[in-house]
Amino acid sequence: MSLSFALSKPLVDYGRAIREWGVSECRPYAREADERHRTPENWSKILDTAPVPLGRHDLPHAEPKPTFEESNWVRDVVFYESINYGDVWVQPALGGGIGHLVVSAMGTPEQVERWHDPVVSGGLTTAFALTEPQFGSDTSQVATTATRDGDAWVLNGTKIFCSAGGTAEYIVVFATTDKSLRGKGVSAFVVPKGTPGLVVAKFNENKLGIRCWITSELVFDNCVIPVENQLGWTADAAGGPKQSGHSGALAALAFNRPNMGAMAIGLAQASLDVTTKLLAERKVGFTPHRWSSIQGELAKMDHVLARGRRLLFQSQYLVGRGTPDGAAAAMAKGYPPQTCERLIRRCMQLLGPEGTSKDLLLEKWYRDVKIMDIFEGSGEVQRIVVGRTLMGRLVS
Amino acid sequence: MDLEPAEEHLAVAELARGIGLEVLSSAASAAEAQRRVPENVWKTVFETGLTVPVPEEFGGGGVMDTVTQMIAVENLAYGDPAITLAAVWSGAAALLIARCGTEDHTGLLPRLAADPTSRSAVALYEGHGRAPAEFASTITLTEHGQWRIKGRKLAVAFAAEADPLIVVGMDPTTGALRAAVVPTSDPGVTIEPDDRGLALDACATSTVSFDVTIAAGNLIGGPEADPATLANTVSRIRLAVAAAQVGTAQRAVEYAAKYATERVAFGRPIAGFQGVSFPLAEAQIRIQAVRLEIADVATQLDDAALRDCEDQVTRVVNYAGEVGAESTRQAVQTLGGHGFITEHPVELWYRGAAALSTLDFDPLCSCFEPAL
Repeated sequence: MSLSFALSKPLVDYGRAIREWGVSECRPYAREADERHRTPENWSKILDTAPVPLGRHDLPHAEPKPTFEESNWVRDVVFYESINYGDVWVQPALGGGIGHLVVSAMGTPEQVERWHDPVVSGGLTTAFALTEPQFGSDTSQVATTATRDGDAWVLNGTKIFCSAGGTAEYIVVFATTDKSLRGKGVSAFVVPKGTPGLVVAKFNENKLGIRCWITSELVFDNCVIPVENQLGWTADAAGGPKQSGHSGALAALAFNRPNMGAMAIGLAQASLDVTTKLLAERKVGFTPHRWSSIQGELAKMDHVLARGRRLLFQSQYLVGRGTPDGAAAAMAKGYPPQTCERLIRRCMQLLGPEGTSKDLLLEKWYRDVKIMDIFEGSGEVQRIVVGRTLMGRLVS
Repeated sequence: MDLEPAEEHLAVAELARGIGLEVLSSAASAAEAQRRVPENVWKTVFETGLTVPVPEEFGGGGVMDTVTQMIAVENLAYGDPAITLAAVWSGAAALLIARCGTEDHTGLLPRLAADPTSRSAVALYEGHGRAPAEFASTITLTEHGQWRIKGRKLAVAFAAEADPLIVVGMDPTTGALRAAVVPTSDPGVTIEPDDRGLALDACATSTVSFDVTIAAGNLIGGPEADPATLANTVSRIRLAVAAAQVGTAQRAVEYAAKYATERVAFGRPIAGFQGVSFPLAEAQIRIQAVRLEIADVATQLDDAALRDCEDQVTRVVNYAGEVGAESTRQAVQTLGGHGFITEHPVELWYRGAAALSTLDFDPLCSCFEPAL
């Protein structure tokens, strides 16, 4: 059997069903979500109209995403591209988040049962609080402290850019128990919503794009949680969790990263499709040599998106097969976003000044896509990861 | 060769940079939110005489040369491109009349020079990558000695309130450019305000469609107007967008560079990592290349031969569009998540540069290239 890049027909159909539904039912609310900095009022009813299961986390007992002959990891590449093809507001409305991924990676079996499994079976959104005002990429600088006080941990510090921080059922918070150990002294703690001392200092930032995504600033002011909320903690392990929160957090995120690349491709493909259709209507305005050049450009852009998808599928194929490859995941996160920024900008340029008008969504997607090269590991961080596989770690 | 800036250039740069930073920059967000330039800000820019060039005999401060005006535009845009171009575009009508008009129209100049509340417009851009030599808008002599204007113009600043509104189009008989004053109240003029989404909200623009017949007296410079002077002036107006891109990009790169020297990660200021410093350095190299190209084209436009340098203008404007968009992009990237929130102005510049890059875009001047 030779290599095959082909997806199975059921998965192709699943992606197409989501995209077609997204265009007709979700995209009409995109402008409103951007202007009001929140999900459309009737989001739940809109999601009810989906023709295929989306694995909604906002409802208990919602039907999970279907499985295909490809792994769920590969399915999710298709899913994330397709769900964002409609618009970026849909994905956070489905709930979920990434806090429970850390629980799954670092938690004991009891913790996974308590905090991860209920999320997967539906009904919960979780958040992840790592970034602080003074650091982002360099996660060894965690300054939020966790101080042991009898059978409790007391958290103090500030976290920023926490997706869904103001709404999540619980937040996985990274805090240091011993600053002298730098990254190795960092642990992860589950802080349930409403815990005294957990203050939502800012519910949502004013942002360039993804404005309806909740991006919260959280302050932990003598926030007390039980010892068993430290991920990896067991009553008989005196030394605490084996894996530090610092590296555990990154491990948990690594294979979610390609999904960010898929989101960028979803926005870029949407932009390209909208632009291609509009330009066809305006063909007569262009001189023949310009029109010929534009056709070449559109074909090239489509081709480039396919190039990005191959990296996504390879990374997640490997994860699904049980041989995850950090460099492949970093390539899959590192390749699409910057190219998708350029592609959306090129689409606006081809349409001329009207391309940036509110009558279209290109200008919004150009603002939305910028975050894809920043969050969950910036493009620079992905280059560091890939570089280390080539050249090792010369600098610790 | 003489690359030494003249005293006048340095003085204009200093004046414009000061106003850009102290007045325009601090007003930028408010102007965007209110979708208009605050009156006091407009007045300050107006009173410099840098944006409404009117000869002294008509009460203005004189018409500076192209080189000097581009220096002014760059340095004002260092503060904010939207407010800068609002003022420059409104002043373009005065420039065009001053350089190409006869006494039929120069009578308008004293008011334009004296009244900061006056707004005027030059309807220029047509999209589709069309430079002026390829304009589809026509200004045609009718058999009754009047002039018929037909066409559609994009991104016309202050169209609805403009007095005068000047249209630039092609005379199909001569194949040369003409310009004419069109009354905005004419039923043959349709003004559709643009609903701006990305940026430049401070400078309200419209799409304007024309199908009007005007009296011979409305033709700027009359039937015997020199098309070379007009084409040269149109090139200058177009070139101003490239200068605004340079100012915007320069500001963004400097802002990001400063941030990089202050932000510490992995044990040192991030400026110490080549992955951070090189992209900003490359942006700076490109910005300087555009700056010199603008100055070179500007000197040619100022030459007595009155060339239009149309191809060169198209190229530099399009290159400046890419450089502006990519430089501001790199500035946002350098700040990371902080670049994505409105507490820092880099997101404003990122939006502004991209919006400007669509105005006078020609697909033949650049190619889409994937980043990797």
